[in-house]
Amino acid sequence: MIYLDNAATTRPNAAAFNRAQAFLGENFFNPSASYGGGFLVHSELERARATLLSAVADPEKFELIFTSGGTESDNQAIFCAAKRGNAVTTAGEHAAVERCFNELKNRGVEPRYAPVKKSGAVDAEALLSLVDEKTSLVSVIHVNNETGAINDIAAIARAVKRKNPRCLFHSDGVQAFGKIPFRLPQEVDLYSVSAHKIGGIKGTGALIKRRDVALPPHIFGGGQEGNARSGTENVLGILCFSYAAQEKFKTLSADSARLSALRPLFLSKLGGAFLPLSEEGSSPYILAVSAPGTRGEVLSRMLWENGVVVGTGSACSSKHRYSRVLAACGYDKNVLDGVLRVSFSPTTCEEEAMRAAEAMNEAVRRFKEKL
Amino acid sequence: MEKVVIIRYAEIHLKGKNRGYFERVFSVNLEKSLKGLRHELRRTSGRWLVEKFEEGYAEEVAERVSKVFGVHSYSIGYLVGNSMDEMFAAAKLVAPRTGSFKVETHRAYKKYPLTSMEISAELGGRLLADNPRLRVDVRSPESTVFVDVRENGKALVFGSFEEGRGGMPVGTSGRGLLMISGGIDSPVAGYMMAKRGMCVELLHFHSYPYTNDGAKEKVVKLSKILSRYSLTARLSAVSVTHIQEEIHAKCAAELNVTLLRRFMFRIAERVAKREGIQCLITGESLGQVASQTIEGMTSSNAVVSLPVLRPLVGFDKDEIISRAKKIGTYDTSVLPFEDCCTVFLPEHPAIKPRLEFIEREEGKLDVEALVAEAIGTLEIIEL
Repeated sequence: MIYLDNAATTRPNAAAFNRAQAFLGENFFNPSASYGGGFLVHSELERARATLLSAVADPEKFELIFTSGGTESDNQAIFCAAKRGNAVTTAGEHAAVERCFNELKNRGVEPRYAPVKKSGAVDAEALLSLVDEKTSLVSVIHVNNETGAINDIAAIARAVKRKNPRCLFHSDGVQAFGKIPFRLPQEVDLYSVSAHKIGGIKGTGALIKRRDVALPPHIFGGGQEGNARSGTENVLGILCFSYAAQEKFKTLSADSARLSALRPLFLSKLGGAFLPLSEEGSSPYILAVSAPGTRGEVLSRMLWENGVVVGTGSACSSKHRYSRVLAACGYDKNVLDGVLRVSFSPTTCEEEAMRAAEAMNEAVRRFKEKL
Repeated sequence: MEKVVIIRYAEIHLKGKNRGYFERVFSVNLEKSLKGLRHELRRTSGRWLVEKFEEGYAEEVAERVSKVFGVHSYSIGYLVGNSMDEMFAAAKLVAPRTGSFKVETHRAYKKYPLTSMEISAELGGRLLADNPRLRVDVRSPESTVFVDVRENGKALVFGSFEEGRGGMPVGTSGRGLLMISGGIDSPVAGYMMAKRGMCVELLHFHSYPYTNDGAKEKVVKLSKILSRYSLTARLSAVSVTHIQEEIHAKCAAELNVTLLRRFMFRIAERVAKREGIQCLITGESLGQVASQTIEGMTSSNAVVSLPVLRPLVGFDKDEIISRAKKIGTYDTSVLPFEDCCTVFLPEHPAIKPRLEFIEREEGKLDVEALVAEAIGTLEIIEL
């Protein structure tokens, strides 16, 4: 199997998982317990927290709250930060942010949506024009999960804070964390990350936040995670997340460079049947293409039968015919129907990529021959 | 004190000399519906009792038997000795906390020392003395405590009659093959035929990879809901992918759906005849979509000899939806998985296709080979 749907989820890092499982098997104690065993688990969790946090931020200025995943992190950030006035986001967000903004309406906060450019990156000037003195939150996705477009969130956050220093800035960093080189600047207050996109297991994520930002609890209970997110910690998932991240960050720049070099080869191997939607300068991990007039979903199932796994737009929104985000980029229905999202992993080798490209060409040929 | 579920049956008593047969089938169906739950099913005069289920399961037992066709009404109650003390203890449990009530006694055991009226009066009096917030109203009480004195030294005490779904025991009216899609209509059609006692078998057509596994899973889910009533054990699925591709490639686009339906009918009939099934069932409703016109139905009927039952033919969509909601299939039917890929849907399907035109277009295909090939893909999914 050639697996090129790594933006949907990744194969868990076996070494990281085994190490986490071995730890949990021996040390199954509740991390909140006051005896030695509990403290031992607590300490390992704290080490994991420090590892993950220091990978992208200054631990003096930021802290990290473990959650059940990117979606929960986004929910906590948005509902705990956007309490009044208006909140601004982009038309290029993952459903985990977009749905929260739709819900804000019912909670008395006016949602505002900035348009995206053809690449899927936000039109930063349009976004800024929506920010005013009543804005309580701005949320901009870091790497667009459908096209891979990178938003310069450092620059956008700085400009937002110049216009309204009191509003909070959040970014969904799920497709960026562990994939593209980046340090959190002080203008970004809240940042969502997820474990299973970088070799961790599903059901674990984190919300990174500036220490001086007070966030009310999202889930109430035993007061874990500094009272920000109660519930006994998912020790297996968290440890696996941090062990996998350790590996990931070691080779992050090299992986990124290698995949950047692979991209033009892959694209040139793809025949003229495919139109690239991802633009130059986007994440080397994600490549959206379209075979206009076909059906991406059907192609992906044909490919699955031939041992090649690619995605169709965002997996979380596959229930709707057209990708909301790609439609916002301005593509017509013919293009939207035929979208495939190819997403690489650091282990994707050139030969696999070439074979996948061939299989994609073949699928389009078969589709067109039959229909 | 033992909790029991009391079941009374509907039309079976009308069936004269066949009554024994109907009752036997009904018993088997009740047993099937209770599969997986510990229980004992016992026939007493004019009713069935489900006893000896585990504590806390009365509602689930009642829910399951409520779906068996032939049930006229059912009650959750207590089976106790027929002494006044025991009947009173049970009556206290089913009596309301407050408001007006009466006790209604039915005395099958005619040698009981008290008459029905006397038993009601005695139990009513005791209940009143026990709870001052109750008052008696024999004409229009808010609640009724029913007491049924049986002949074996036992009595049944219960608080209400819940309406069953009526109909006839499934299996007493032959066998039909329902063409089930993931839509709203076909499960309702299957339900209606099962209600008249038909044993409903299920056949689904898919076109993987143009449709996805979610669409098939949805049909399995619908089949499971339907099988609670129809007691169907399995679903057959056939791929019509190649047929769709051939039609799309070779025939006039506006006939896509019409031609596909003729293939589905042919396949269904082959499967039915092989299994000794006597008719086909569809969820078609006149005029609902382009293929469900009288011309469309005529063109489908023309390729089969078995009768085609269309129990929804005269129903509005709203009526079908409200039935689907009552049956419990609606929420699953509206899940967003398509039965048919949009690539195969023509912009303007033919509404009144002429048979000569249809046959001319169909002549471009090797019908026999395609039908045989499709039947070769048949897979059986146990529900």
